[in-house]
Amino acid sequence: MISNVIEETPLISLVGPPNSGKTTLFNLLSGKNLKTVNYPGSTVEYSTGKIIDKYGVNAVLIDSPGIVSLIPNSPDEAVSVDSLYSHPGVGSPHLIINTIDASQLSRHLLLALQLIDSGFKVIIVLTMNDILYKKQLEILQNELSDELKCDVVKIDGKSGKGIDNLIRIIDQNLNEINILGKPKPKAYKLDSNKRKLIDSYNRIEHIVNDVLQDIPQSGKINLSKANKQLKILGTHYVGKNNRPDELTLKIDRILLHKFWGLFVFVLIMGFTFTSIFWLADPLMSLVDNLFSFLAQLAAITIDDGWLASLISDGVISGLGSVLVFVPQIIILFLILGVLEDSGYLARGAMLIDKPLSKIGLNGRSFVPMLSGFACAIPAMLAARAIPNRRERLLTIFILPLMSCSARLPVYALLIAFLIPLDKPWIGGFILAGIYIFSIISSIIVASIINKFRKKIINAEDNSSFILELPTYKLPKPGSILRNTYSSTKQYILKAGPVILAFSLIIWLITYFPAGDQKIERTGLAKEQVVQLEKSQQLENSYAAHIGKVIQPIVEPLGFDWRIGVSLITAFVAREVFVSSMALIFKVTDSSDNLQSSLLDSMRSAQIESSGKKLFTPSTILGLIIFFVFALQCMSTVAVSRKETGSWRIPALQLVIFTSLAYMMTFITVNGLKLLGLG
Amino acid sequence: MKTAANLKFGEKVKINEIDISNPSHQRILEIGFTPGQEIELVNISAFNDPIALSIRGTLIAIRKKEADCIIVS
Repeated sequence: MISNVIEETPLISLVGPPNSGKTTLFNLLSGKNLKTVNYPGSTVEYSTGKIIDKYGVNAVLIDSPGIVSLIPNSPDEAVSVDSLYSHPGVGSPHLIINTIDASQLSRHLLLALQLIDSGFKVIIVLTMNDILYKKQLEILQNELSDELKCDVVKIDGKSGKGIDNLIRIIDQNLNEINILGKPKPKAYKLDSNKRKLIDSYNRIEHIVNDVLQDIPQSGKINLSKANKQLKILGTHYVGKNNRPDELTLKIDRILLHKFWGLFVFVLIMGFTFTSIFWLADPLMSLVDNLFSFLAQLAAITIDDGWLASLISDGVISGLGSVLVFVPQIIILFLILGVLEDSGYLARGAMLIDKPLSKIGLNGRSFVPMLSGFACAIPAMLAARAIPNRRERLLTIFILPLMSCSARLPVYALLIAFLIPLDKPWIGGFILAGIYIFSIISSIIVASIINKFRKKIINAEDNSSFILELPTYKLPKPGSILRNTYSSTKQYILKAGPVILAFSLIIWLITYFPAGDQKIERTGLAKEQVVQLEKSQQLENSYAAHIGKVIQPIVEPLGFDWRIGVSLITAFVAREVFVSSMALIFKVTDSSDNLQSSLLDSMRSAQIESSGKKLFTPSTILGLIIFFVFALQCMSTVAVSRKETGSWRIPALQLVIFTSLAYMMTFITVNGLKLLGLG
Repeated sequence: MKTAANLKFGEKVKINEIDISNPSHQRILEIGFTPGQEIELVNISAFNDPIALSIRGTLIAIRKKEADCIIVS
């Protein structure tokens, strides 16, 4: 679809180093109706927008991954760079817009020189001129344009000043291409990387000397400009620009400090965790209640038995289990956005790099792992920022072990069973214990997987941590909100269809072949009748048959077919376990005290063959352990497939984590029984 | 041979050479660590590694293992 558009409209690629203001410019230029295209290899999606929507220029703008140079450092980078020359989806660009942070001129000119030398038609956009201005320096735009033999435009990302000028110059360049033909760039070749890089930088230093000047003071004769024009003097201006931001250095003294740095790190992580849980909690129950209300409404208003069930239990509940996590994900992305925009995330990654490198991960694994405590899906998307393939795959591999929020309702139910009613505070300790246990286990699992990485991950790269620490600045609410919106949309689009499809399948196997059930209705409220009908359906359904078939498998864990069925339904999303248990143990109370009546039913449940109690402290703890390890989330599997590019890793995750869960549960349940805690 | 990995806090030096036997040398050159440039060790991470170097007006966090290929005078 996109390629059809390209045949008639020119393609402009937006290229630039990380932190060069590329995304801000993209948002300024592109209209609202974005499409995403896949960037090959990295499986990273990049947005395309049509400039025509906003400014009347007939061209498609495509974003690209931030790169430092055209010489790839890894196979993944090679794919990114190759697709700059010829993108398999959209072809080769007519024009390249290259963003350069004016305060980082010398470092960012390297990519510009390489692009121009390759034969691309390039427009240089200088961003963050205000930072340079604070140092009382400015770049002579025309001189830079003469030296590089391409157009140079200054843009103010905050106010959008300079955009009109840029649009005019894009128009001019496209007209030239119309007359002279599309440029045919040649791949940037290097005979001796080191020599050529040093030569490039020598050339850059001359250019910087020529174009950087003191801002003329009013009332004084501008000697420096005169000197520039006569090519006298020079290094003084470069020296002035070579001092990093003083305030940033001071803040870093604290934030990277051996004691205070770690203290603030733990504080920020703690704040993020608690916000994900406590701030999101009321919103999540709101979504949850809304969808149960809608489901009930549908069940009552639609007369037809199976259709009512399909709509209320299949579609509406399925949608509910996708959307219930949206509040958490929004909060997570808002916090991450603030941390990223302010410059803290890079410091966090730096602080944690050393310990993480011990288990084969990278400082950059830290953001995905943190996100994993909300949901593994955005976490896997966040893992794209890890440049090293092996470390990225290993990070993705262990993400399902992070205790995601879908496990919380399950833990809440199981913990409630364990603790005495009059001492609810014990529950908090047990929950904290589960989190600590899952963190420790994921560290152990990561280091074991890392030991066998050649077999499991199947990728070997040079491990590296070189990260620019950006200048601290106040976060921009606009861009944070925009990113949060697009990340949340990505989550819904990625997880939504999988969860929905799976909940329909689960509905099918839990509803059929029983169909409508005849219940003795006397003396029962409408809600209780509905609940009893559902229980009957489930008991006679395919799912129950499957549960009875797998009973021998779950029996060694102290479970029976009813728990087995609930575990199967939990593959839609883990929290579905709770509602399945409610159905299967025939809880007929209204949803207000669903948990307490479910607990009562669980307490009186017996193993059918022996008449012994089904739920004992050992089986409950066993279930908790099972949920700590098992990969019971089909959307995670689907996203893992997409992000790793094959079925290999998701299949291994599914097998390894589920068998690990089985083993650990077996050990827990039978160990506790041996100790007499049966 | 002194390298950027064994600088002291606040020590300012000039880069002499980049050792190409280190697999990260290319990226290190690309981000601006070229001979003749002045660098300063401005910070050390809480676990003693990585370190933060100031180069060309910016801060780069880099593992000691990689900073080891930046030979300084």
